[in-house]
Parts: sequence; C-alpha cells; structure tokens
Amino acid sequence: MKKLLLLTILLQGFLFASLRVDTTYSTMGLITQKIGGDLVNVTVLGSSKYDPHFIVPKPSLIAKLRRADLLIMNGGGLELGWLPPLLRAANNAKIQNGAKGLLDMSHYISMIDVPSSVSRAFGDVHAQGNPHFSTDPNQVLVMAEAIKKKLIQLDPENEKIYQENFNVFQKKWQRYLQNFDTKMQMCQGKKVVQYHELYNYFLKRYDIQSIGNIEPLPGISPSSKHTLALIMSMRQNHVKTILQDVYHEQKTAAFIASKTGAKVQIIPHDIRAVKGSDTLENFYNIIGKRICN
Amino acid sequence: MQKKLLLSLFAFTSLLADSEVEMLKQQLLQQQKITQKLLTRIEALEVKQKKVVHTVQQQAAIKNVNTSASFSQNAYLPDMAFILNMSALDRNVKNSNYTTYDIPGFINNIGATGELPFNKNDGFNFNYAEVALRSTVDPYFDAFAIFHLSPAAFAIEEAFVKTRAIPYGIQIKVGTFKSDFGRINSKHQHVWQFDTQPIIYKSLFGPDGISDAGIQAQWVAPTDTYIMAGVEAFAGTNSRSFGADTQNRHLYVGYLKSSVDIRDDLSVLGGVSIAHGDNYDNNVTNPTNIYGLDLTLRNQLGSYSSLVWQSEFLQRDKKLSTRTDKQSGLYSELIYQYNNNWYAGVRYDTILKNDTDLSAYSGVDTSNLDRYTAKIDYHPFPMSRLRLQYSYDRTKVIEGERKDINEISLSLNIAAGAHGAHNY
Repeated sequence: MKKLLLLTILLQGFLFASLRVDTTYSTMGLITQKIGGDLVNVTVLGSSKYDPHFIVPKPSLIAKLRRADLLIMNGGGLELGWLPPLLRAANNAKIQNGAKGLLDMSHYISMIDVPSSVSRAFGDVHAQGNPHFSTDPNQVLVMAEAIKKKLIQLDPENEKIYQENFNVFQKKWQRYLQNFDTKMQMCQGKKVVQYHELYNYFLKRYDIQSIGNIEPLPGISPSSKHTLALIMSMRQNHVKTILQDVYHEQKTAAFIASKTGAKVQIIPHDIRAVKGSDTLENFYNIIGKRICN
Repeated sequence: MQKKLLLSLFAFTSLLADSEVEMLKQQLLQQQKITQKLLTRIEALEVKQKKVVHTVQQQAAIKNVNTSASFSQNAYLPDMAFILNMSALDRNVKNSNYTTYDIPGFINNIGATGELPFNKNDGFNFNYAEVALRSTVDPYFDAFAIFHLSPAAFAIEEAFVKTRAIPYGIQIKVGTFKSDFGRINSKHQHVWQFDTQPIIYKSLFGPDGISDAGIQAQWVAPTDTYIMAGVEAFAGTNSRSFGADTQNRHLYVGYLKSSVDIRDDLSVLGGVSIAHGDNYDNNVTNPTNIYGLDLTLRNQLGSYSSLVWQSEFLQRDKKLSTRTDKQSGLYSELIYQYNNNWYAGVRYDTILKNDTDLSAYSGVDTSNLDRYTAKIDYHPFPMSRLRLQYSYDRTKVIEGERKDINEISLSLNIAAGAHGAHNY
C-alpha cells in the first residue's frame, strides 16, 4: 500500500513535470502556450497595460524568474530598462545570458530600421533596430518556430508533441494570414502617423505609409514645435489616421485630430492591451481593422 | 465512278495533310534550336554575371576590412557609464562653520572625522565624477566596478565579482561593496530620491553607509512570493559604529526581505536587517548591534506615473565599557512621479531615541533632532536630472549652539553611456 502511494506520488511528479517558461510580454506568452500546450507553465512578466520599455521592476518578478527553466525575451533593447537587474537578482543560473534557458527572440527576426550610427542625441534609439516586431502577424510563425526549437532543445523527450502542436498551429496561422492579407489589400498606400514607431513592421508589410511620429524623438515627449510641423505635414499628405497606443498621453493626438480632421485609433501593442484583444487572432484583427478602418 | 473520285479525293487530302504536318514539324524543330541557343546564351551570361557579382562582393569585403583589427577586442569592452554631479546651493551657515558641525550623540565635529560634507560650499559645488564598469567575465562570473572621483580624492566605491552559475538560487559576491542592509544602503547616491543622505544613516554609518571589503551570500527562495535571505561578512572598517582596533575587528550583516503584490499595480516590499560588530572603547572590545526595518509601498498610476512611500527605522545598541547606548531614528519619504519628466517628493527625518552621553552639550537643547526636505525633479531625458531641493535641518550643533539650517540647492546629475535600469 505504502509503495503504491509512493509510486503514485512519484508518477504524479513525473506526469506533471512541466517546463516553467517566463516570457517578458503577452504575445510571446500566448504563442509559447500554443506550442507547449500542457507541457509548459507560462508566466508573463510585463503587464500589457504598460509601456513595454517601462515595466515596473517589482520584486515579485524576481520570484517568477527564480524558478524559470526558460526565459523568452523580446530583445532588441526593449527590456534594457527593467529586466537586467531582476535577472541578476533572481540567482537563476539556467536563464542567465549565455545559458540554454534564455531565448532572445530578436535574434530570429530580420530587424528593420537598424540605425547606421547610434547616439542618444537622437533619443532612445535602439541600436539593434526596431524591437516592436510582435505587432506584425507575419512574425508569429517566425516566433513560433524559434520557440518550438527551444522547447525541443530543453525537453527533447517531448519533441513529437511540440512538433505536432507547431504543425497544427502553423496550418491554422497560414490560413489566417491568407485571409488577413486579402483583407489588408484594400488599405495599400494608406497614410498614417504614429505616436511611437510601434507598428513599422506591420505598415511596411502592408504598404501603408507612416508620415511621422507624435513624439519628436523616440522616448521624448511631444513638443509644440514638432506637433505643429506634424499637423502641416498631415494636411499636405491628407493623413486621416493617428495610431495611438494605450499607455502614452492622448491629449496631443486629440489636439492633432481636431486640427487635421484625422481620427485617433487606439491600437494594442500587445495581447490584452485593449478590450477584446485576448487571442492572437483578435489582437491582429483589431490592429488591422483600426489601422485600415 | 463516284467511289473512285471519293477515294482519290481522300488520298489527296491525306497527302496534303502529311506535307502540312511535315512543315509544322520542321518549324518546331527550328524553334527548338533557337530556344536551345538562347538558353545556352543565357546560361553563359548568368555565369558571367555571377562571376562579376562575386568579384564585386569580394572587393567590397576587402574594402570593408579594418586592416588594423586583426587583434581587436572592442566587442568585449565592458558596459561603461560616467556620472557627474554638481550643484548651486544657498545655506544660512558659513562654509567654515558647516565643516565642523555636530549631530549630538552621533557625530562630533564632522571635519575631524575626515569626512567632507556633501555639497559643502555655499555657492557652486562640483561633487563628483564617477565611472561605472560592468562586464561578464566568463560563464561563471560578472564583474562590476565604480570609481568615485571627487575634486580631492579618488576612491574605489565598489569593485566586486559575482557568481552567475551557482544553482539552487544562490549567489556569492566578493570584493569591496555596499551591503544590502536595509533599503537605501546599497543604492548609489545618484539614484537616491534626495541629494542628502537620511540622517540616521549618516549618523550610524557615515556617507558611504555599510561599504567594506568582504563576502556576501544571498539566496532567493523557490516560492511564488519573493523571499530573499542574505548574510555578509566584512572587514569592519566602519569606525562610526564599529571597531577601531585594527587587529580583531569584524562585521556581520544578515537580512531577510520579502515582497507581495497586493494588486497588479500596488506592491509592497519589506525587510528586516541586523548588523553585528565590535566597537573599541577605552581599549575594550564590546559588541554593537544595529537593527533595521524597512517598508516600501509602490502604487503604479500608469507607465510613467507612480506614488512610492518608503520608510526605514534603524536602532543601534552600542555596549561601552561603562554603559550601553541606545539610539534610533527613522526617515519616511513620499515620492510622486507625475510623468516621465517630473517628480516631486517630501521626506521627514528624525532621531527618536538618543540615550547616550550628551554631557558635552550642557546648556544646549538636544531634543527633537529632525529634518524636513522637499524636492522637485525634472528629467529632460532618463539620463539627466535637474533637482531643486529645500531642507530645514534641525539636527546640527555648530560652535556649541543648536543651529537650524535652511538650505536650497539646484543640482544637475547626468549618467551617460550604458543605460542603468529603473529603480523599484
């Protein structure tokens, strides 16, 4: 009897042995869940309420990092302002830079907007290029593939399951993209302005022109001089859409809208950033719909 | 007859048809030949083109080679930042008097301790330039150093090595470093919310806090709630609370910290700390124990807006040859971040208990030692900060008299280079 009990306990431990995966943002978290299924236990560190550059480094995040088997980060400098000290404080050798348990997603993306020279005189420029690739649905499979490979590397026993999950997801997503691409065709050549360059991957892919940004330089608050220049340029180019994120102030966008007749569209930057953006499909649908409107 | 005619007609047409097919075949053959020729020509052109592109690429590659870089190791340079701090200040005390102040029961003539007060001049001050370096040494160690250069001195503020590959949530640090005692002790001056050090820290430890050569071990518990325990052993050179006997001095520090999120945007961090060492009084070695309690509440109001309330209480029990001194104090500060550019804050400092020999101050009121501070920060960008600070300081005795000090300062702090992460 005792033996049986011990065996069940042991078996239970074995059966529920799942990989603990931390992701810095929600979109990567959801993709990891799709590929890992029941074999992974996903924790998202950064709330999508907040600016991804400025996640509050709460000590509770240290506890989350402490037990992770794998940390999936966006990279490209997006986490530079909050993750490094947490990672150092977590004392988790498995996920340190250079260890097997750290996946930097930006290494798998062909980054755009890579500056040829970098100086903070130009604001908070990311030296490795624009890190906001997860707002483009065409990067989803690239991310999924990288996640699949990493999960197989860490848990080779379950390779078949990861591969199968990936195949199912890939088929589904390819169908989704086909549909999405057709819908986006009607927006080709449209002109928009953004608050911060959050949607460049998306805009480039669907041939939508970004005329300018509300912030004069990355990470610098709007100035009246820059705002007036932007209004002039929007009038000249007949821009009718302003892409606003959920976490910056919205007064400037409202002011510009009132002067140009453009419409302010609140675009989610991550899963769950706006109401109804709780699945991958809904998230990108909302982005597409609101940019296209 | 009719039959014959039909037959000949059939033969004729079929013959004719045959010749037509033949012609078509011929044409097709010719066409095929032409296509073949074109194909070979295209292939030849492609090969030629490839060769050209390849040579062009090769030439470009050769052009881009930095011929002096055969042994270059630039990619391995440490992350580096330099930090500058300067101020313009107005104070209702003469400079020569300010450098001799007392905090009754704690500091007797600040100048005599060899310590120069921060912002010592009424007028312009260039306080310090710092160079901070951080690098991963190898898969097993990280190294960190911060060199503090003030107009009069060069100091190694911190220089330590930290492990990065020990399992079970353990980390070891060796070198000279700031202790993780309490909340503010390990933080460098340029990230403090106020330019001045809390009175109780200055009184018990001096301007650098507990900062010494030693070893530290920290362990993070594998729990959902953040729990961290740490122990440290130091050389014990801090003479304000601990030994002056150079032979047998030592200092041990231990602490336990924990944090919970009450809501997603409301979190609390608390800690208990103890520092145990020896003091040296009248050629006798006696124990000094310092206890610390700290509590921080942080309410996030948005990505760039927050309200943080941080308090610390410290008590020192110092056994001397004839009596035991019991002294304690606290500070409590409230910081409001309005947006990425603006911060405002207030702080209250006080000495709560001052149970020590104050006979040198007969006739001087040494009760109610406290200080009020208020500040406004403007950050044009996260790397630079302008700070306007006012303080009303009632903790000082100057030239045998209690002197309340009014001080207003405008300081500029910059941290250029590697991006330091934001504080909790």
